[in-house]
Amino acid sequence: MTLRTKTALVLFAIVTTVAISLSHAQDKFRLKPGAKGKVCLTCHEAFKEKLKLPFIHTPVKAGDCSDCHNPHTSSHGKLLSENVSRICFSCHEGIVPAKARSAHKVVTEGNCVKCHDPHAAKNKNNLLQAGNELCFGCHQRIAKEVAGNKFKHNPVEKGCLNCHTPHSSAKTASLLKSDVPGICVACHKPDTPSFGKQHMGYPVAKSNCSSCHDPHGSGARGILWGKPHQPVANKMCSTCHLDPSSPDALKTRKAGIDLCRGCHNPKMNEIMGRKRVHWPVVDKMSCQNCHNPHASRENDLLKGPQLALCGNCHQDTIERLDKFAVKHKPAVEGNCTKCHMPHSSNNVSLLDNTNPINLCGTCHDWQKHSSHPIGEKAADKRNRNITMDCSSCHAPHGSEHKRFTWYDVKMELCVQCHEQYKR
Amino acid sequence: MRSGMKKIMIASMILAAATGSQAAEPLKFRQMAPIYVDGKGAGIRQPESVACRGNALVVADTGNGRLLRYAIAGDAWTPSGEIVLPQLPSPIRVDLNSKGEIFALDGSSRKIVRVAPTGEFLGYFAPTGDVQGTVVPRSLRVDRDDSVYLLDVSGARVLVLDPSGKILREVPFPKGYGFFSDLAVDAGGNILLLDSVRKKVFKVAKNSPEAAQLGESLEEEAYFPTAIAMDKQGTIFLVDENGNGIVILGPDGSFRGRRMSMGWKDGFLRYPAQMCISDNGTAFIANRGNNRVEVFLITE
Repeated sequence: MTLRTKTALVLFAIVTTVAISLSHAQDKFRLKPGAKGKVCLTCHEAFKEKLKLPFIHTPVKAGDCSDCHNPHTSSHGKLLSENVSRICFSCHEGIVPAKARSAHKVVTEGNCVKCHDPHAAKNKNNLLQAGNELCFGCHQRIAKEVAGNKFKHNPVEKGCLNCHTPHSSAKTASLLKSDVPGICVACHKPDTPSFGKQHMGYPVAKSNCSSCHDPHGSGARGILWGKPHQPVANKMCSTCHLDPSSPDALKTRKAGIDLCRGCHNPKMNEIMGRKRVHWPVVDKMSCQNCHNPHASRENDLLKGPQLALCGNCHQDTIERLDKFAVKHKPAVEGNCTKCHMPHSSNNVSLLDNTNPINLCGTCHDWQKHSSHPIGEKAADKRNRNITMDCSSCHAPHGSEHKRFTWYDVKMELCVQCHEQYKR
Repeated sequence: MRSGMKKIMIASMILAAATGSQAAEPLKFRQMAPIYVDGKGAGIRQPESVACRGNALVVADTGNGRLLRYAIAGDAWTPSGEIVLPQLPSPIRVDLNSKGEIFALDGSSRKIVRVAPTGEFLGYFAPTGDVQGTVVPRSLRVDRDDSVYLLDVSGARVLVLDPSGKILREVPFPKGYGFFSDLAVDAGGNILLLDSVRKKVFKVAKNSPEAAQLGESLEEEAYFPTAIAMDKQGTIFLVDENGNGIVILGPDGSFRGRRMSMGWKDGFLRYPAQMCISDNGTAFIANRGNNRVEVFLITE
């Protein structure tokens, strides 16, 4: 054998090996020529209709069913080759940047199919529905408000994606395309006379527009939040802020609680006169820890619903509440102020009554429901300095047991005190 | 020569093992008789603070609107008096100086009341001179030189005052904090701050103008810690009010464990409010929800 023949043979072997391995990589299931995709459709006939839709997912269009599905076996539902929450990211990586400022919950949870059909759809990007209808499917409260708003915000009507990005935002909160006020002043030019007039001459071009305005529209003129602070509703910004002509016009006339005291003095005296103050009331932010000074969608200008608002600091309580099998209704409904006084109280835990039995009695007809002795004359056998009250047996927020008792009633609760019956 | 080397190696291994096991040894809390009553046998109600210095213990009997004094001898205690003042209807934090004077923060007025060892009202204690902004103390500490440290939540700062009230130092709260509920001062003058919301401890070194986080966030270890104390060795104790327990940290902020759990019986906690550790290592815990002061001897 000549050298040339030997070289040719070696080259042939290399080329053949590479070709075989490449063909295996491209057709790992060794489908017959021309069978790619078509084989699946021989059984999944109904799927042929789906393929007539105008927008088809690229691998589906190419007949690469095995890009996502394993034709033989899988540990995941629908014979997916990866967990349903991760499979999309195997191609669409980078949808959520590593340090995204905000991300759509369904995306981070890998719940892509909430919005997209993985095979084909009538709408662009394989979206299940077109326009706002898709978003409103989950964001029902906004949908309801938008539908009922007397004063509409035009971009909302045209589509949520005018202001929001659907997956994530690297630099902005709330999935906004750009930060407030940048996104607002792109349309609402601050240098126009009408803008200045509407804002009483205050230099608000760099302020947070959504502290006064509901970006989704409102029942109030100027799309102010539904429950504006009276001075804002009356366009009397100078009640709290320096005159608009002053060099530091947006500065408040006084700082913290002293500013609010100007109008709410009797309320402040009432708050400060009690034995225990809710400490955020007297810290640097004071009232603004919980209240928005301009306007809100919540009553009493609260920054959010109580469960979320109180949960900003008392996250541990809210997390435990989530885990309880049996929850106290006011707690789970976020009605914290049903039992606790939000500003101050003369009682521990800022409770709204000196006597815990009377506090529970405001909702529960305790005198009839229980014959177990409670009150000042009923000593708690576990502790000589304590008398029996509702919380001797019941956990006020909730527990693992029926009627949110601290312990299981059948085996554990009563024997805490009546040890002689312990089995 | 080889034999000598071998001996040195074995000796150093034994030494390393001994010191290693000592470092890893968890602290033990030996339960002692709790404090239920004053000198007349009347019950304590909702105590929110305790202070110990030398052989003196002061309890803020908050629910009864008074201070109670006890004398400590070893791990035993005896009542030594009751202090009731109109200026102090709701004591929520107490500490003692070297003269035995009591500094008590009143929850109603949010003023610090200075009380003589004999129980007389000595006046209000507040910063003197040019103070910027309003001062609202959430907590206070007196160090061994009788300087007073105020946790000023209104000014978002720690104010260090000399015994006359003159401001010696002002340290701003660190950025991004949640809510500071308490502070502690070690023998070296370093300040520890407890952020209840973010569940973090911050340290202000003696000559540092700012606070730096000490150790990791205690997100997994604590629920809602509201008070901080230190023993002579620098071990840090956090009173986890909502978690009904005590979280133990090393001097570097490293997590060393949790003690106690929720319950009504002796040794159990219900919404504990604060603790102090005496020189001999006895821990007194203001067990607010159980209307008593829990007593433990801490040993290694």
